Amino acid sequence: MTSASNEEPSANWGECMEAAVEIARKAGQVIREAVKHDKCVTTKSSAVDLVTETDHLVENLIISSLRAKYPSHSFIGEESSAAGEKCCLTDNPTWIIDPIDGTCNFVHSFPMVAVSIGFAVNKELEFGVIYHCLEENLYTARKGHGAFCNGLKLQVSKETDLSKALILTEIGAKRDPETLKIFLGNMERFLKAHVHGIRVIGSATLALCQIAAGAAEAYYQFGLHCWDIAAAAVIIREAGGNVIDTSGGPLDLMSRRVVAAGTQEMANHIAQMLETITYERDDYNANNL
Amino acid sequence: MADPWQECMDVGIEIARNAGTLICEALRNEVSFMTKSSPVDLVTETDRKVEAMIISSIKKKFETHSFIAEESVAAGESSLLTDEPTWIIDPIDGTTNFVHRFPFVAVSIGFAVKKELEFGIIYSCLEDKMYTAGKGKGAFCNGVQLKVSEQEDITKSLVITEIGYKQDPHIMELMLSNMERILGIPAHGIRAVGTAAVNMCLVASGGADAYYHIGIHCWDMAAGVVIVTEAGGVVLDITGGPFDLMSRRLIAASSRAVGERIAREIQAFPCGRDDRQNNLSN
Repeated sequence: MTSASNEEPSANWGECMEAAVEIARKAGQVIREAVKHDKCVTTKSSAVDLVTETDHLVENLIISSLRAKYPSHSFIGEESSAAGEKCCLTDNPTWIIDPIDGTCNFVHSFPMVAVSIGFAVNKELEFGVIYHCLEENLYTARKGHGAFCNGLKLQVSKETDLSKALILTEIGAKRDPETLKIFLGNMERFLKAHVHGIRVIGSATLALCQIAAGAAEAYYQFGLHCWDIAAAAVIIREAGGNVIDTSGGPLDLMSRRVVAAGTQEMANHIAQMLETITYERDDYNANNL
Repeated sequence: MADPWQECMDVGIEIARNAGTLICEALRNEVSFMTKSSPVDLVTETDRKVEAMIISSIKKKFETHSFIAEESVAAGESSLLTDEPTWIIDPIDGTTNFVHRFPFVAVSIGFAVKKELEFGIIYSCLEDKMYTAGKGKGAFCNGVQLKVSEQEDITKSLVITEIGYKQDPHIMELMLSNMERILGIPAHGIRAVGTAAVNMCLVASGGADAYYHIGIHCWDMAAGVVIVTEAGGVVLDITGGPFDLMSRRLIAASSRAVGERIAREIQAFPCGRDDRQNNLSN
């Protein structure tokens, strides 16, 4: 180890990020090709929690490529976790991967599908890469270096007034009556506060990128995973926004819930109005998602 | 026999593209807005400017034709559909998205003669996707032919709707419980992107299996109805009966089976009609 790399370990992360961008683009190409064909679909935690062969193929492609370059690094990937790999974040440089965010969209050829690659060291998120593969939009951010989409700088909305907000959310995989009542109750509360509108696009990472781009004011969800949050959290923060827990406290990457907004005031407005839907943490028993 | 309306459609496509250019230019500046029938029913100067451009461009070529257009109707013009060749126009479908720069914003131009829809044009300008369909001629996006998914199983369906404020709390309850019923079937999922016109194009392209909405207008539906049906889909009334352009409601679906299942699950609520007065409430 040279003294230069001891003083500036983050120089290595820039190289890692370039590797992430390269593999995200390759993965995106695979997905673009696969979306034209029939998909072989199975289910995971519920009848609407879908997974395809392409999810597995793409995750293997990403992890094997990155592992070849960085054999000492750790990996948390959606399909590996589903297969029983431990989903716990250590201090070791760790890649946090969603090979296809928006699998249901992918199955239907609904055009919101992304590859998401996050990276943490000492449990701190360092960079994020999200590739909207069907529109070929590349979102990137590295801690301290700003956030970009296809090279254009991203800036969140500075709106603080809930009644001028466009809100994004996702439904999550649970569809039992109690969960649906809470989910719809949360939406009703925002509608009654006269938010400008609520949008659901089927991809948490791409919805979070819309927050970073300033195209919507806030996002909230129960039921997403650490691999949905990791990259987007860096992108939003580097675009000037806030990413917190639904309780209003600091983000807990493994908690299965998030609020993200352009401003702290907006994030707090949202968090204050939410009733919780509980999902099992990502870092509990690895077999339960 | 030559199609008497082909020239109209070609003119409409060019005008839709010009309108899209105006909209994209406007997005370079700060967008200020006002409200119409409720605190969340937004309108901007660009809506009015684009509509004026569309109507005046069409009038130059077809001076005897009639118009039903969103902002003209809001200003007091009639929204009654006669047998006359009639252009049915939404200059910016997705005004809220436009105000926020959320990337689904469309120009929607439908055309009816003797109360029959003849063609539809929807230009999703931020995506640069031009959707067109002429009666009997198929539906296309940027020249590529569209086909619905043909999905017949509601439990494998992706359903689109819109999630909007309702002034009447009872109607708000019904809107939300409709979603609850669809999600509880369970359908694969619900999507809401904020523009009726693009929603219908997503069904036409096979990217979603159904779209239902209570409370839109004829200018939101007219073009999309042609595009969905020419892509092989069906449009129904929210009760499962025949579609009514002035009813302010519809189901557009990949198959009759999915459309009728949705009709069985959802409850109608009052939404006014476009061919009656005081029809602009949300």
